[in-house]
Amino acid sequence: MTETPHKMSARGVSVFYGDKQAVKDVSIDIAMDKVTAFIGPSGCGKSTFLRTLNRMNDTIPSARVTGDIMLDGENIYSSAMDVVQLRARVGMVFQKPNPFPKSIYENVAYGPRIHGLAPSKPDLDAIVERSLKRAGLWEEVKDRLQDSGTALSGGQQQRLCIARAIAVDPEVILMDEPASALDPIATAKIEELIHELRGRYAIAIVTHNMQQAARVSQRTAFFHLGTLVEYGDTDQIFTTPREERTKDYITGRYG
Amino acid sequence: MSKSLVPQLPTGPKEPDAKGSWRAPTDWTTHAMQKRIRRRYGAERRFRFFGLAAVSLSAAFLAFLLITMVANGWRGFTRTDVALPIDFPASGMLIERAQLRTPAADLALAGAGLENAVKGAAATAFGPGGEEFISENAWLRIRDAIKADPSILDRKMRIDVPASTEIDQAVRGDGNAEAKATVAKLQQAGALSRHFNLDFLYESDSTDPVAVGIWGALKGSLLTMAVTFLIAFPVGVLSAIYLEEYAPKNRWTDLIEVSINNLAAVPSIIFGLLGLAVFLGSWNLFGYQFGPLLPRSAALVGGLTLALMIMPVIVIASRNAVKAVPPSIRDAALGIGASPIQVVFHHVLPLAMPGILTGTIIGMARALGETAPLLLIGMRAFIVTPPGGFTDPATVLPVQIFLWSDEVSRGFVEKTSAAIIVLLVFLLAMNGLAIYLRNKFETRW
Amino acid sequence: MNGFALLFLIAGLGLIGWLTARARANRFDRGGAKRLHSLPGQHGMYVAMWTILPALLFVVVWSAAQPGLVKEAVLEHPAAAQLPQFEFERDALLAEAKRVASEDNATAFDPVAEQLAAPTRSAQAYYGWMGTGVAILLAFAGAAFALTRVGAHFKARSQVERGMMVLLLVASLIAILTTLGIFLSLLWESLRFFQQVPITDFLLGTHWSPQVIDANDPGKSLGAVPLFWGTFFIGAVIAMIVAIPFGLMSAIYLTQYAAPTVRKWMKPTLEMLAGVPTVVYGYFAALTVAPAVRDLAVSFGYTYASSESALAAGLVMGVMIIPFVSSMADDSIAAVPTAMRDGSLAMGATTSETISRVLIPAALPGVVAGILLAVSRAIGETMIVVMAASGAANITLNPFESATTVTKQIVDLLTGESEFDSPKTLAAFALGLTLFVITLLLNIVALRVVKRYREAYE
Repeated sequence: MTETPHKMSARGVSVFYGDKQAVKDVSIDIAMDKVTAFIGPSGCGKSTFLRTLNRMNDTIPSARVTGDIMLDGENIYSSAMDVVQLRARVGMVFQKPNPFPKSIYENVAYGPRIHGLAPSKPDLDAIVERSLKRAGLWEEVKDRLQDSGTALSGGQQQRLCIARAIAVDPEVILMDEPASALDPIATAKIEELIHELRGRYAIAIVTHNMQQAARVSQRTAFFHLGTLVEYGDTDQIFTTPREERTKDYITGRYG
Repeated sequence: MSKSLVPQLPTGPKEPDAKGSWRAPTDWTTHAMQKRIRRRYGAERRFRFFGLAAVSLSAAFLAFLLITMVANGWRGFTRTDVALPIDFPASGMLIERAQLRTPAADLALAGAGLENAVKGAAATAFGPGGEEFISENAWLRIRDAIKADPSILDRKMRIDVPASTEIDQAVRGDGNAEAKATVAKLQQAGALSRHFNLDFLYESDSTDPVAVGIWGALKGSLLTMAVTFLIAFPVGVLSAIYLEEYAPKNRWTDLIEVSINNLAAVPSIIFGLLGLAVFLGSWNLFGYQFGPLLPRSAALVGGLTLALMIMPVIVIASRNAVKAVPPSIRDAALGIGASPIQVVFHHVLPLAMPGILTGTIIGMARALGETAPLLLIGMRAFIVTPPGGFTDPATVLPVQIFLWSDEVSRGFVEKTSAAIIVLLVFLLAMNGLAIYLRNKFETRW
Repeated sequence: MNGFALLFLIAGLGLIGWLTARARANRFDRGGAKRLHSLPGQHGMYVAMWTILPALLFVVVWSAAQPGLVKEAVLEHPAAAQLPQFEFERDALLAEAKRVASEDNATAFDPVAEQLAAPTRSAQAYYGWMGTGVAILLAFAGAAFALTRVGAHFKARSQVERGMMVLLLVASLIAILTTLGIFLSLLWESLRFFQQVPITDFLLGTHWSPQVIDANDPGKSLGAVPLFWGTFFIGAVIAMIVAIPFGLMSAIYLTQYAAPTVRKWMKPTLEMLAGVPTVVYGYFAALTVAPAVRDLAVSFGYTYASSESALAAGLVMGVMIIPFVSSMADDSIAAVPTAMRDGSLAMGATTSETISRVLIPAALPGVVAGILLAVSRAIGETMIVVMAASGAANITLNPFESATTVTKQIVDLLTGESEFDSPKTLAAFALGLTLFVITLLLNIVALRVVKRYREAYE
């Protein structure tokens, strides 16, 4: 199916919230130069699974993860893995744009600052400019970098969050329904951006919009009731799904 | 679903714009990076430690405060007794036996010179100056013993009577050398004993720390709280209902709202000034000079003043409770033809009641612990007899604590702490009740 | 008649009116109508309302007016001519006459008062019976009026509900009346004070010694600047140095680090600190903390340390304020959307970096408002300073020296035995007005900040 090395691979991952099992025994590989989409009806565990990939589930006290998740062959749940470094390497963009109540500049500069990636102010300026350019936001905000990040429109805020994520030079970017709170034009811009970022980062995106999955991804995983039903090339999943459930979902029988 | 329906964007990575080259991912394994991470984790641990320290120290202070009070205060519930040998037939008292069964028994015993007889017995038993070892009120105990069993008047017997303050202190290791020597002597004779007793709860204020009790102040507090509740609860709840359910949104409503929010933060002592000026000041109205509207030092004035003070607390809590009742319940009631008043009094108010009561109890607890405004309106009198009604001069628990804390006699330290224990027990019970109510009715919808 | 008996009588009449009207309404001729507008109970309520309310209103007014009428009547008596002209003495004698009149076998020290006892008693009885009579008459009149109106088609429910509405409105007006009452009574007494003492002397004078007031120039010893400084120093500086770090760090620890069980137990524990009555803190400060602070100062070689130091009062006050700061900070940190916290954590910030760089800046307005409220609370706090701080008004930066506060002086001025109109007692009201205005301003600013902050996240 694919020749490129796997950036991340999950083996037998289950997630529990207290007694409730939200993700059941999922195994999946995320390729370096591809966009992997997670689709499925709401409550199917796709977002929960995504959050295990950079251990954001650690912030929920009752959540428990079993199984192995490897990043470049290293188990991210092993005690040797440092969660701060992990999250710098595996960035995340959330469903609702969540810029900090700081200036646009400070939003992007925050990551490089805390991780010490910019030795000097000019370096930091360069990182901010480069990240905003890559996020396709530079032209819109270059004259008002000191304005508050919360004053931007929803689509701009989300691109700012993407700029913020890529400012720390991650290796993987996780996107949790990044366009679900946006209008169609802003959504198109985000999708375009995902295309441009492809190949530079391994990208995993959760979406409940099947067209979006078809448009932006090369690999698609279909989740249902916490299990991974089917995983394969996007073309194949959308044209000749192997599983009946996948077919039903894609053709809109339920969901 | 056919693929042609899904619009495809041009695929494949574009060349990045001229300005930026794609940087290689950060190398986290370098020495400098590792060192930096270690430093960040150090900062994290320190920060976390400071947080823990702040919480622990605050809790430790509370524990220290409570332990100090309990350690000092439990002794307020003990009393030192002296076993006094008394020979009634030899005391020369003339007592009419028949009178002992009539209501005039107290008068008869007092008239028979019992007090002197008891002092004489002490002098006989412990040598000259022996009457100094027993409390001035010791004869009251003998009197009660005689009333309980008149036949002891024919006998010679030992009766436990309260020790004097000096002896009492010396037993606890606080007295002067002379008193301590006396105590050693009495102890050798086996005449001293210490008991846990609850007299403290039944007595009233006195100048003698051995004899003081909290009942007078407690009764004053209860009367004051009754007035406070009767005023603040109905007024607070009714105005909360008005503001939340019926008030039109206009400038007047805003004014009421701002007033209530600010009243909640006015220092309590200001309410004391208000009570002093309004209830106890002199008024000139329609050419008539009014004296004080209400009697000074009375539970009525204290209760009114505190009612004004806690009313905003009740209003705010009640408004929140009323607001929390889901609109669907109002809609349902309106839908079957209830009038707006019926909606509120039949449906909203009963559902909001647990929240309202919780807020009221918390407000009442605040009123119970309040001292400053009551000092200003004169509830700091020396009250030996518990108040009989709302207009009698009274004092309250916290003011009593304040008054005793000012006393120089060492004996008052433990009595002050004992009074604090009583006050804290009441407050704890009230807050516990509030928490219980909140938890029990928290998730009803 | 005894006031309580009268109230019971009126209530009883109301009950009878209720029962009568309900019984009548039960026998109404329905006249073919399926349902009447109002239920029998509502007719009853209408009659009870008309029976009780006018009579009750009259009783309230009458009990306020009666003392004045009695006094007027007593002054008509021939013996009253012997009363001294000076109003204060005259009132004292009248009060004594009143006491003799109301108590059995009491005697007066003053012969005039003794003579006036009988007329006082008769005047009291006269006006008392008059009031009772009118009240009962009003109750009957109200009942009769209401009963004539009650009928099959009478809309009793609407009338009762209108009455309820008025009652609700009156209840909520009491809040405004209280605020107004506080402001006016403070202002009134303060104006009387400023007639005797120039306002500039009071606000700008640096010498405070109310024990010795020069009758010719009372302003010289009533300069309140040392009190303002002491209040600020103890309440806004020393107490806050304790309360802000402890409160803030506690809130941070409990919201961000503590396990749920720890939070569940520690939060109420900290709140208990706010529930302890201030008189207990005061006692603790005076008994334990103040001597310890003095010993500490002496061990530093500062032998003149006061045992009523500003530090002791401020420290204990700070501990008392911790829960206020912590619960306000807790609320504002909790109000910051979790998405913001996740956003920071997701890019590899440590928890402490997230807190200090994202959460605290985002929650800052709420935290600042909480601190303002805490300051307002601290400077209005009375018992701790009354019991642990000194009465000596110093302007000092040394925490081991003594300092006094506005609240402490108010209590000291008003608990001494002196007549009501002296500059000394009036000064307490001027201090009270100053305190009221300052806490009000702090409060308004804080509430406004909180409101704007909430709007930002909603």
